[in-house]
Amino acid sequence: MIKVTRDDFDPGEIIEGARQRNVGAVVSFLGIVRDDGIERMDVEAFEEVAEQDLQAIAREAEAKFGVVHVDIIHRVGHLSVGDSIVLIVVGASHRKAGFLACEYIIDRIKEHVPVWKKEYTREGARWVEGGH
Amino acid sequence: MVDTVHVRAFARFRELFGDALEVRVKVPATVRSVVQEIARMNPDGAHEILDGEGNLRKSVIVLVNRERIPGNGREDYPVHPGDEIALYPPVAGG
Repeated sequence: MIKVTRDDFDPGEIIEGARQRNVGAVVSFLGIVRDDGIERMDVEAFEEVAEQDLQAIAREAEAKFGVVHVDIIHRVGHLSVGDSIVLIVVGASHRKAGFLACEYIIDRIKEHVPVWKKEYTREGARWVEGGH
Repeated sequence: MVDTVHVRAFARFRELFGDALEVRVKVPATVRSVVQEIARMNPDGAHEILDGEGNLRKSVIVLVNRERIPGNGREDYPVHPGDEIALYPPVAGG
């Protein structure tokens, strides 16, 4: 499942969904809103392009590392401290490929996919600087 | 002859220019003529997309019809009536 969504998700359910006969390792990355003195965060995306890019990144990871299953869910909208922002789940035959693919996917998201975060503090709001 | 292209802006640029705007440019139009017209319409935000010499800043990402236009010479990329131009600052998701 590859999607950009306003809705929260259950990471456990999505990780369970990666089980299949040729998968010996499931590696996941869950990004959550950290309390850096912020009250909340807005996540904005160019949704049509972001979803297209996530699809392409998933296919790249499959081709580069031979992983057999990739889920990427990225949230947009108003988020609070502790909320999930992004989930990546990779199913692989062996752990090494799974770890490498998962890291590759989050790095590519951060450098390429049109998503931005605006943080709200008591003092005001600020865009998180891009340029990974 | 003048025609209209659709421009979408995101994040900081959306706050400066609006999320969707119609820009009227002389044909034949290019990425350069579109961004210069946006800068003319929004003098307060112009420096965010153009440098001191009026050139498109390298950090600005430009898509035409949802295709990224990379590299040197991207300002000369042709834009046709009805095209969708997207402008955004460096991404910060994940």
